Amino acid sequence: MIRRAGLLLATGAGLVLLLSLLVHVGVDLLPGDAATARLGPNATPERVAEVRHRLGLDQPVLVRYGDWLSGVLRGDLGTSVTGKPVTEMLSDRIGNSVVLTAVTLVLLVPLSLGLGVLAATRGGRPISAGALLLVSVPEFAIAGGLALVFAVTLRWLPAVSLIPLGDSPLTHPDALVLPVLSLLAVGLSYSVRAIRSAAVTAFGSPHVEFLRLNGISTRGVVRAAVVPAVLPVAVQVWLVTGVGLVGGGVLVEKVFGYPGIGELLVTSVQTGDLPVVQALVLVLGGAMLLALAVADLAVVLLTPRLRTRAVAA
Amino acid sequence: MTESRPRRITTKTVVLAVGGLAVALLLFGPLLAPHAATTPVAPPYAPPSAATPFGTDHLGRDVLSRWLHGGLPLVLTSLAAALTGAVAGAAAGLTAALTRSGWVENAVLRPLDAIAAVPPILVLLLTLIALPSRAGLVLAVTLAAAPLTARVTMAAAAQVAGRAHVEAAVARGENWAWLVGREVLPLIAATVLADAGMRFVSAVHLVAAAGFLGLGVSDSDWGLMIVDALPGAALQPWALAVPVIGVAALAIGANLLSDRVVRTSRGLAG
Repeated sequence: MIRRAGLLLATGAGLVLLLSLLVHVGVDLLPGDAATARLGPNATPERVAEVRHRLGLDQPVLVRYGDWLSGVLRGDLGTSVTGKPVTEMLSDRIGNSVVLTAVTLVLLVPLSLGLGVLAATRGGRPISAGALLLVSVPEFAIAGGLALVFAVTLRWLPAVSLIPLGDSPLTHPDALVLPVLSLLAVGLSYSVRAIRSAAVTAFGSPHVEFLRLNGISTRGVVRAAVVPAVLPVAVQVWLVTGVGLVGGGVLVEKVFGYPGIGELLVTSVQTGDLPVVQALVLVLGGAMLLALAVADLAVVLLTPRLRTRAVAA
Repeated sequence: MTESRPRRITTKTVVLAVGGLAVALLLFGPLLAPHAATTPVAPPYAPPSAATPFGTDHLGRDVLSRWLHGGLPLVLTSLAAALTGAVAGAAAGLTAALTRSGWVENAVLRPLDAIAAVPPILVLLLTLIALPSRAGLVLAVTLAAAPLTARVTMAAAAQVAGRAHVEAAVARGENWAWLVGREVLPLIAATVLADAGMRFVSAVHLVAAAGFLGLGVSDSDWGLMIVDALPGAALQPWALAVPVIGVAALAIGANLLSDRVVRTSRGLAG
């Protein structure tokens, strides 16, 4: 078990390393760089060369990558085009994005399990039809629609998530509601569909039929046979959804101006602030791979057959 | 009261009519639009009127005209991207399945797996930093789609590759094109087609997202219209509602269509 976890983490770390190298080399192939982005189009070539030298951009790309990597190991993610240290720019925002994702996941887990199992029963057709419709709608369209209904028409909630710098989003719950609802709609539609198909299989299995024929109530069947069978799949689905929320959150945060890393990523891409983009890709890619590794382990832990084999090996 | 045969309006008729109307709107939208997509025709945030049925946006441009102009580029780019993604992925999957060597399979599929681990929105952003153009957008969607198609095609083709008629064709000394085109592809075409439908759904999603990020394919992209309308949504809700409904309807339509292809192809594949 521990060896497996170690192997997964090592693979993940290797992939993150590869991803960061790709981003660096890819960015190097572009016409512009941090020096031209900082000075603007009217800078003289001498001035650009001077800044480039000061920033170390005249070094070969692999040397710079090595410097960046050793900086990351010391907790220093480099300097933004605006001159601020990237670590400082990220520190508040990572927390805000984690709060957003965590609140969404806390709501998502019970809701998707309940709705997914319900959708597999006879009365569940509307739920699965709704999930099928919703699953394809882009998250920013859902977010825009929610803003239109709850912020513009009903005026119940703010359309822009104003959270003062340094405050936790949890102290401004009204700013959190619409972003969480948007992400929840995206996550729910996918996870309900996945959990439903697992539950349909579970409902059709011989031991469920046996329980039914013995007169066990539907509630009892669900508790004793369906939920345990669905759970390994569900955990996998929740973790993958959680990772998807990190990606989907990028655009939802932008819609509501929520001060998280997604909003920062979009702004940085638009202004060409490459050091920030590189750091954010590292953070997002790392989160994704960590969640996938955890999902892999969770499946082993929750499936008795795989669990005993892992112990025996 | 004369006996007349009741005209039966089935779900199918309704679906066909709505779908046909939507396709016609997309195709001929630019011709139907009363104004140009980029010229201001009224004061900013003007409410709906006879000349501008859905009002104007933050620069005074007609919302309806922008919407009509923006649909076709969005759909065409998504189609092109989904097609290249499906073809590239299917080629990779077929190569891995037909060579039947672990080395080739690893060399082809492992790099694709690594790409599949990156969230599509990140793939999109990274590609568009490097190539901020329509070609870059198609490349981004291809990169996001190909790994999944390759997996699906590989799984389907691997089951066919070992069958007797393929073995016989190999023994006859048929070339690659024959093997793929005559022996394998006809048996897995349904699966590949169904997968391509799903790639189109995600292509619509990504292309609209690129517009939302201001990196889109046209100056009246629906995604761009949404992001433009957000700050003034309280003043002119129509400017936000129209593109939101457009994106949602397109995505849902594409999804239902691909779902239908999946169901039909299951019947074909048996």
